[in-house]
Amino acid sequence: MARNSHEKRAERQWLLILLPSLVLLLAFVIYPAIYSIYLSFTNEALTGAAALRPRFVGFRNYIRLFNDAKFWNALFVTFVFVIGSAVIGQFVLGLVSALALRRPIRFRRVFSSIILLPNAAPEVVAGFMWISMLAGGDNATLSRIVSFFGITPADWLQVFPLSMIIVVNTWRGIATAMILLTAGLSTIPAEIYEAARMDGATPSQMFRRITLPLMMPTILLYMLISAVSTIAVFGLVYALTRGGPGGATEVVSIYIYNQSFTAFQLGYGAAVAVVALVISLILGVAYVRAMKVEV
Amino acid sequence: MTVVSPGETANKGRSDLIAYATLSLISIFCAVPFFWVLLASFDGNAQLFLHWPQQWTFANYVRVFTKEDGAKWLFNSLFVVGGATLLVMVLAGLGGYALSRTRAWWKLPFLYAILLIRVLPPTALVVPLYKFLLTLNNAEAAVLRPIFGSYARDIMRWTGFIDGYLGLILVLATMQLPLALWIMKTFFDGLPRDYEEAALMDGATLIQRIRRVLIPLALPGLAAAGLFAFMSAWGDFLLPLIFLSSPELQTLPLGLFRAFLRINEIDYGLLTALAFIYLLPAVVAFGFARRFLVQTFSGGVKG
Amino acid sequence: MINLRNVRKFYGALEVIKGVDITVEDGEFAVFVGPSGCGKSTLLRMIAGLEGIDEGDLILNGKRINDVPPDKRGIAMVFQSYALYPHMSVAENIGFSLSLKKVPEAEIRRQVEAVAEILQLTDYLDRRPAALSGGQRQRVAIGRAIIKKPALILFDEPLSNLDSALRVQMRAELQRLHRELKATVVYVTHDQVEAMTMADRIVVLNKGFVAQEGAPMSLYHQPDNEFVATFIGSPKMNVIPVTATRASAGTLRLASPIGLSLDLADASGAVPQGEAKLGIRPEHLKIAPEGQGNFTAEVVIVERLGVETYMTVGSQEQPIVVRAEGDIAVRPGDRVSLTADPVACHLFDSAGRVIRPVAA
Repeated sequence: MARNSHEKRAERQWLLILLPSLVLLLAFVIYPAIYSIYLSFTNEALTGAAALRPRFVGFRNYIRLFNDAKFWNALFVTFVFVIGSAVIGQFVLGLVSALALRRPIRFRRVFSSIILLPNAAPEVVAGFMWISMLAGGDNATLSRIVSFFGITPADWLQVFPLSMIIVVNTWRGIATAMILLTAGLSTIPAEIYEAARMDGATPSQMFRRITLPLMMPTILLYMLISAVSTIAVFGLVYALTRGGPGGATEVVSIYIYNQSFTAFQLGYGAAVAVVALVISLILGVAYVRAMKVEV
Repeated sequence: MTVVSPGETANKGRSDLIAYATLSLISIFCAVPFFWVLLASFDGNAQLFLHWPQQWTFANYVRVFTKEDGAKWLFNSLFVVGGATLLVMVLAGLGGYALSRTRAWWKLPFLYAILLIRVLPPTALVVPLYKFLLTLNNAEAAVLRPIFGSYARDIMRWTGFIDGYLGLILVLATMQLPLALWIMKTFFDGLPRDYEEAALMDGATLIQRIRRVLIPLALPGLAAAGLFAFMSAWGDFLLPLIFLSSPELQTLPLGLFRAFLRINEIDYGLLTALAFIYLLPAVVAFGFARRFLVQTFSGGVKG
Repeated sequence: MINLRNVRKFYGALEVIKGVDITVEDGEFAVFVGPSGCGKSTLLRMIAGLEGIDEGDLILNGKRINDVPPDKRGIAMVFQSYALYPHMSVAENIGFSLSLKKVPEAEIRRQVEAVAEILQLTDYLDRRPAALSGGQRQRVAIGRAIIKKPALILFDEPLSNLDSALRVQMRAELQRLHRELKATVVYVTHDQVEAMTMADRIVVLNKGFVAQEGAPMSLYHQPDNEFVATFIGSPKMNVIPVTATRASAGTLRLASPIGLSLDLADASGAVPQGEAKLGIRPEHLKIAPEGQGNFTAEVVIVERLGVETYMTVGSQEQPIVVRAEGDIAVRPGDRVSLTADPVACHLFDSAGRVIRPVAA
């Protein structure tokens, strides 16, 4: 606690310096979030009768939400999307990459640079690159690869839309997983592996009984971070499928967008947004506790 | 290297081989989608699918700037994202320093708030944000129009909140602030206070200390924060989509997106050239940011 | 019994271990000591099997073990940082090697408890390493080693992470354990005090080869070369450049620019004349009455420790440390006369090898 006037003045200075950031965050993030909550209790819309005279409708939007099949579909799609790409896809490939890169092989920098590349591509570009891979019938790159192995190609984005966006998002996020897991791996001192060697552990035993348990905090942190950022994905999926066909890839963020800007149901869209916010905040709180913030 | 029995030597060789194989497979998986953008952009007869160009040409790139508004989009993107990045660097540089050094009661809540803000999905915030900015916009117009008359429109292009540079820059900057503040705060945490205390004993005021001692020391952290803010804002598609409508202000991702949606014949050569132009700064920035990646992702940047 | 025979190791073109021959007998506490970079840790890791041996033989109880993997050598190692598994309890740490071999739980528990008893860790079996003090962690590391019933235990600078008070305590602790377990130990340290106090046999290493090996006192009193002479013993032995001339049959006269003149008995007459170096430990220089003694010098620094006093005399280029019992009435600036005990003089040639004049 600041005691003398000199310290108090210093503290005031800090506050003053942070004020612009605080104002921006309050105005453009906190306020919209709160306003979202308010909106969700109204029937605001940009068309129709309610557009002229929006009024407070209580929980009606939420009731409609819970009865709306498309809403549950969006949640389900998002859930599968997160599990498939973040929890499984990115994690497995990222872990494999991180482990493989620890071995004394050549071209480590080349490999890691290439693996990091998808993360550098902006969302829209990434989406279009994969459209070339997946759309276009038999000429699509994936189709050609697959027919090389004797499998009949399909119109990937039409027939397997959810699987495809999972693949694309996995492709995009391997870098994050690899970096986080590499950092986690490097916190394990090399001497521990030497001690295990002297105790007679095989590589597989070392992985199962030393590496994995010691990595658990990092893995948990990774899961939370990637879940949160995957829920927020919009541009990538929108560029690929726009949420279709028939809502098969309508993740929550696209559902909100469609409700708000296509159907112009602002109140309803806000209700969905609030649900998304709450889910994210729950994950966020878990993330904050796992991070053990230092003051 | 550990002494191994002959049987184990064979195992080690095999493990290395497996490492090479898996890394190669994963690398191919990562690299292949890029080939199309690269090849088709130089292709005189580009198609949607991947094929080796029959005729190599720069014409696509030229067309981006002559036939399409590529120059405008590029300028808009650079201006808006560059502006936002600069703003973030200034605010986060100073703010991160304040956050690191303060011992006030509001420090921990503020830090928690920053972390929680980072997990909010932008799509959930866009609608109310739009309404809010619309209100601000109208208020601004109400003030400017009486004074500047018809010129108000042009001025609003720069200072407006909806369909104006100022608004987009501010919103983009705000979205990058939490991460940037966190990076700078952790960075300054790692910087010993000795330098500032020495300057304090020498009689420097806060501003002098910041200018002459902190800023030079803070450069690595600022570089990291700036690069990450740039990459994130550069790739942002949603915000420009929502907040910009007039053609003069369109940024690269929007131009690219709309070019892909043409009803008539899509010019894939043009499209991939445009995509490549859009891709390049992000990849370059990523290349620079590489060495900060590990530290940032594990919590912060050490000085 | 463990033997190293003409052992060499190369890092690329650089030879880091240059033909080392060492023997450690059963039950001995052998200490490898030397300055950093001398190769002592490398040698230890080669014995453990964590580094390869390029040339030469490593023989344990008659069997050549160069190519035997580390866990099958019957050797256990205590690492400098202890390398305890942070996510396992003390009991799990100690019993890890057994659980890897799928020994039944009950048997593991029995052996772990027996080891814990010896090391006084019984109350801590369920704790994690993070909840232990430095000394306790070291005991866990030792427990992990001895449960394997090794023929040889290796210690890699185990005390360097501890503060000085704890270090003294742990030194005694380790010696007690050694006696109780009757184990053969190879212990690496850079601290010659640890070497002197704990070892049955000291191996002094310098730049990849053995400078001298033997019992602590024989290294102290009969160093084979200047390196060992100045490495062992604190404060360091004084080394003074001298010129040796034959004064008369059976007498060697040493003269030094600082005004020292000393006669040594040399019946063999084999000592070559010319440039040499005189080594004399601080405790073997005594203050003499005025005018008598081998040389005089000005006192520069006086360090009073109560039980003894150290004076640094002479010039900056040639400082000489003198030890005196108790407290003496000397002040900086005084001129003192000093005698050197001729029996305790060591003579080294210009290459640092000891020259041993033979008394009649």
